[in-house]
Amino acid sequence: MVANPILYIALPLFTAFLVPLLAKLWKPLVRIVPGLVLAYLAIMSVVLMQQVSPEKPIIAMIAGWKAPWGINLVFTSFSGFIASLISILAFFIWLYSFGFKKVEFDDAQKYFILFMLLTAGSIGVVLTGDIFNMFVFIEITSLSAYALTAFYKGRDGAEAAFKFLLIGSFSSIMLLLGIAILYTYTGTLNMAHLALLMPQVPMHAKITSFLLFFVALGIEAEMFPLNGWAPDAYSQAPGPIAASFAGILAKAGIYALIRVSYTIFDLGDHGGFELLLVMGLITMVVSELVAMRQENLRRMLAYSSMGQMGLIMIAFGLGTKEGIYAGLFIMFNHAVIKSLLFLASAYLVYYTSRKKISDLDGFGKLLPLTSLLFGLGAFAIVGLPPFSGFWSKLSLLIATANSHMEFVLATVLAVSVIEIIYYFRVLGRLYFRKAHKEIKVRKPTWNSVVTMIVLALVIIAVGVHPDFITGLLHNAATDLADKADYIQKIIPDLFSQTLN
Amino acid sequence: MNSLIILLFILGGGALLSYFAFLSKHAFGQAVVWLVAIASPVYFFTQVAVGESFSFSLGGFELALGFNHYSWVFALLIMVLSPLSLIYSTGYMKSRLRLGTFYFSFIFSIFGMMGILMSRDLVSLFIFWEIMTWASYLLVIYRGKDVEHTGIKYMIFSAVGAYSMFMAIVILNREMHSFDIATVIQNFGNMNAADQWLTGILLLIGFAVKSAVMPLHVWAPGAYTNTPTSFTAVFSGGLSKMGVYGIGLVLLNLYSHSDFSQVGIYLAWLGAITAVMATFRAVFQNDAKKLLAYSSVAQLGYIVAGIGLGTELSVFAGIYLAILHGAFKGTLFMAVGAVERQAGTTDMTKISGLIKNMPWTFFAALVAIIALAGIPPVGGFVGKWMLYEAAINSEHMFLVILIFISSTAAFLYSFRFLFGLFLGQQEEETAHIKEAPAVMVVPMILLSLFLVLMGTFPGIIFKPIAAGMAELGFQGVPWHMSVLYNMWGDSVNLTYVSITFGTVFLLGLVYITLIARKGTKHKLSTKDIHTAGEIPKPEDNLNYSLDFYKPFERVLSPLLKHKLDVYYNEFGKGLEALFNFMRRIYTGNGQTYALYVVVFLVALILLSGRIFGI
Amino acid sequence: MNQILTYSVYGSAILVMLIGIYAVLTKKNLIKIVIGLSIMDSGFNLLLVALGYIKGGTAPIFSPAVAGKDVLMVDPVPQALVLTAIVIGFGVTAVALSLVIRLYRKHNTIKIDEIKTLKW
Repeated sequence: MVANPILYIALPLFTAFLVPLLAKLWKPLVRIVPGLVLAYLAIMSVVLMQQVSPEKPIIAMIAGWKAPWGINLVFTSFSGFIASLISILAFFIWLYSFGFKKVEFDDAQKYFILFMLLTAGSIGVVLTGDIFNMFVFIEITSLSAYALTAFYKGRDGAEAAFKFLLIGSFSSIMLLLGIAILYTYTGTLNMAHLALLMPQVPMHAKITSFLLFFVALGIEAEMFPLNGWAPDAYSQAPGPIAASFAGILAKAGIYALIRVSYTIFDLGDHGGFELLLVMGLITMVVSELVAMRQENLRRMLAYSSMGQMGLIMIAFGLGTKEGIYAGLFIMFNHAVIKSLLFLASAYLVYYTSRKKISDLDGFGKLLPLTSLLFGLGAFAIVGLPPFSGFWSKLSLLIATANSHMEFVLATVLAVSVIEIIYYFRVLGRLYFRKAHKEIKVRKPTWNSVVTMIVLALVIIAVGVHPDFITGLLHNAATDLADKADYIQKIIPDLFSQTLN
Repeated sequence: MNSLIILLFILGGGALLSYFAFLSKHAFGQAVVWLVAIASPVYFFTQVAVGESFSFSLGGFELALGFNHYSWVFALLIMVLSPLSLIYSTGYMKSRLRLGTFYFSFIFSIFGMMGILMSRDLVSLFIFWEIMTWASYLLVIYRGKDVEHTGIKYMIFSAVGAYSMFMAIVILNREMHSFDIATVIQNFGNMNAADQWLTGILLLIGFAVKSAVMPLHVWAPGAYTNTPTSFTAVFSGGLSKMGVYGIGLVLLNLYSHSDFSQVGIYLAWLGAITAVMATFRAVFQNDAKKLLAYSSVAQLGYIVAGIGLGTELSVFAGIYLAILHGAFKGTLFMAVGAVERQAGTTDMTKISGLIKNMPWTFFAALVAIIALAGIPPVGGFVGKWMLYEAAINSEHMFLVILIFISSTAAFLYSFRFLFGLFLGQQEEETAHIKEAPAVMVVPMILLSLFLVLMGTFPGIIFKPIAAGMAELGFQGVPWHMSVLYNMWGDSVNLTYVSITFGTVFLLGLVYITLIARKGTKHKLSTKDIHTAGEIPKPEDNLNYSLDFYKPFERVLSPLLKHKLDVYYNEFGKGLEALFNFMRRIYTGNGQTYALYVVVFLVALILLSGRIFGI
Repeated sequence: MNQILTYSVYGSAILVMLIGIYAVLTKKNLIKIVIGLSIMDSGFNLLLVALGYIKGGTAPIFSPAVAGKDVLMVDPVPQALVLTAIVIGFGVTAVALSLVIRLYRKHNTIKIDEIKTLKW
């Protein structure tokens, strides 16, 4: 099979524009073709992940221009891992939403186009080796995310989307400003080249630029206090889209944040990591505390998602290899588990317009399988063994302890208790309350059941046997931690010049 | 394949299998439960032995399993008590819903407990600990009563305990570069004092939650009461002992060679205070199950006091009482469960005089109560003897007084329990009640016979305990099959004691059946009275169990007025109010959010000098 | 003199951006907020073009007229960036305006502080 990182972006983008034409041929193609493309990408991810290693990244040049002059796509153990995660998850979310909007054809068409754009943009953010290119992909992702948030006309999607757009515009301006500053001082946009030239940049410019990047990408990565858009967008978007916000969009955002702070700016040891750590801690604490008092299930999950993003920032903010490993592990778990939770919750609150937690009473009997899977997801996300969430929590705590940060350790654990409380409250309602009378229940379709079961099986499999994933995580962590290696692999000539 | 793995496989696989079996057919499910209940102890007692080990690597951690003599003692208890309770459950839980979930959680928590006992490293210990916790949580909320209150409370306290343990584990790992318990014990002295204290306290908090030591006990009465009674037997009898096991491990093994072991005496104090407070609360309960729940907390207090004192004899007494408590509290909860199932309630003010209806249950409860009260010839006597002796020896006289008070007050509730449920006048409403089915009675009787055996020949359990003590650093603890020694050189031969008591008991039984029977021939109802010329209305509750210890309660009421629970609740409410306030950060106005972004950026730039240290 | 000119170019670009930010943060009218976003964008684009300008440079096109000669050219990259940014800005404005229409239909108002169904 043809396995080239370029296909990650080219195929879904192409499909997105092809879909309207295909619809003229045969309407179901609108549903089928995106799935085939995503399946291809998912298989390609597996193939590429076997080829790639920290020593041997796969670098694809667009139009034959070598870096730093051309735009290149860099599929390393780290970026490849995230890209694979996104593409495989995107396939499952497609599978889940295969029958989405069976009747309204136009809506379905829009949905699949936008979903493909979202996927292409997110993978682009992860794979690109060019900082301006990253900006463009972030904008593609954001625009499709705005549109998807406002997808339902009946809900308050437009309101959520407008808030998202308002904050997103600030994000794009700041990102461009940051890029402009870097460009003025270095004259390059290639990330490896930027990293190489970074010592030449005067300190104040470097810091200003870093802070602009930090805030702009912090918006995408749901950092407090920049995450006002997140709960609204999560709660108003269609169920599978909420899952892809957690699993795809936020992952791309945090990836960009990590890439910028780890690879491009060498500010980590000068306070950059501490900043990330502190912001992560604040994000986690605020989000989880607010999640505790939510009445709306989707909002609760959204705040919990933000809390997890905070946890990821803490892990990366430690700045050690163990921390990176833990952060990647949480990213993986969060993508899988939160997707499962969002997908299951979409059926639990299908017919209630307010999506209240109190409307969930007695669903354990009405929708046994969905409730069970939701419960499993809840167990996994709070980190109970033998589910996958436990191992990521363990690795995070080990990394935190080894960095001698007892306060962070205690805070993370205290917040975990709160997480347990609000998830278990929901479970209590699902299973131990009498159902409201005359409640309408939407039975899950076969394809969504398959999706949810696959995700649940992944959670259990990784929980019982984490070695399925630890090897990949170790490679990815090694890859990210070695910045010089990244530069050398991408621009070997310039790198050796600088050395001499 | 390794026998430890097979044992875990039987339990874990059995748990999953029972869930799916109950989904298909009730009879299948019952069959699986029976299979597990028989296979696991049979396999355990025939194939598993101390010294076997199994190590493997999982997720980059080196994990090791294997019993030592100390954990073996507790494993014996679990493997006797849990299968009996499982068998009992098949009778008790008939015709209930969600049996799959029930048995899954039941067997899975046994899996967790056995796992804890065979863990030789802290990671697997924690994994099994968490499994046990959530499995038992599912059982606490199984009946759907009070899920938001009792259930959440149990989970919060468990989580607090588990996470403080978690924190200690990772800090220990940082210092030792290993999770292996043996390594930790060896190198503990090399750690700096601050870390020693931090990890020690955190670990103790973790284990103290499960063994319901004050002030972390508030979850216990509610959780014990809410759980289906067949599991409460294991919950109070076996699961809480995991905390005791852990406290022993921490205090006597991990920390024995450092200053930290002084903490033990404070723990002993907490245990004794817990015992006194819980005993008084138990005395005034109207509900038999709740009474037993409080009594469990009290008994655990004793046990912790014993372990905390840390002398050879007190630890011996503590472990012995732990095993014994498992047996008698198991029996008592089973008895109450039988009453609950047959009479539909455990409220002592509603039922009475069940001795004729349920003689076997009464017999089991009687033996267990005797054990609880510490009267020979049943095992409890031996345990109390040793504990008193150890406490007196330790020269903490006030501690001795506390233990005395609580064990004396224990008589009050023991009496009330027995009298309230089984003795006294029978009400017409309860006349139709029949004895529980054999699957429920037989486990009870077996356990109570075991209690009698322990009273006569405590040596059978002394032997493994002495071996376990050696593991904790108390070499060559003297013991004898049926003779007790004390520090003043006296000895008591329990065989004679037992024979004497047995004879008296038999004579009494003969007397009751032959002669005293006549006395109760009069058919009198409790309603058949006149008080000061007033005829009581039919709905008036005139059961003598009502306000049983009223005068006593009046005296003690100032002491019992303050419930720790209330403070926790207030604290929780305060926090929730704070969180509610924090929600308002997210005002809903997009412009405000945009303002946050700008302000945040400006603030960062202004502070950049400080952040990046230029 | 040249210095002043350079700074005034940068300054005015930043001023335009600040005007945009002011509008976004203080105006209650949704349309005005969208206009503010556009102004913010334009200000930024101005700034970027100004950064890439080299005094006396020609358009960065390789034509026969400049081939082989040592000619000063303005930096082409910022111009490319600005082009992209303009396109994206256009897209964002279009989406924003369509959202405003949707909001107006649903809430019958375009005051941002009256549209707060999603909060806390």
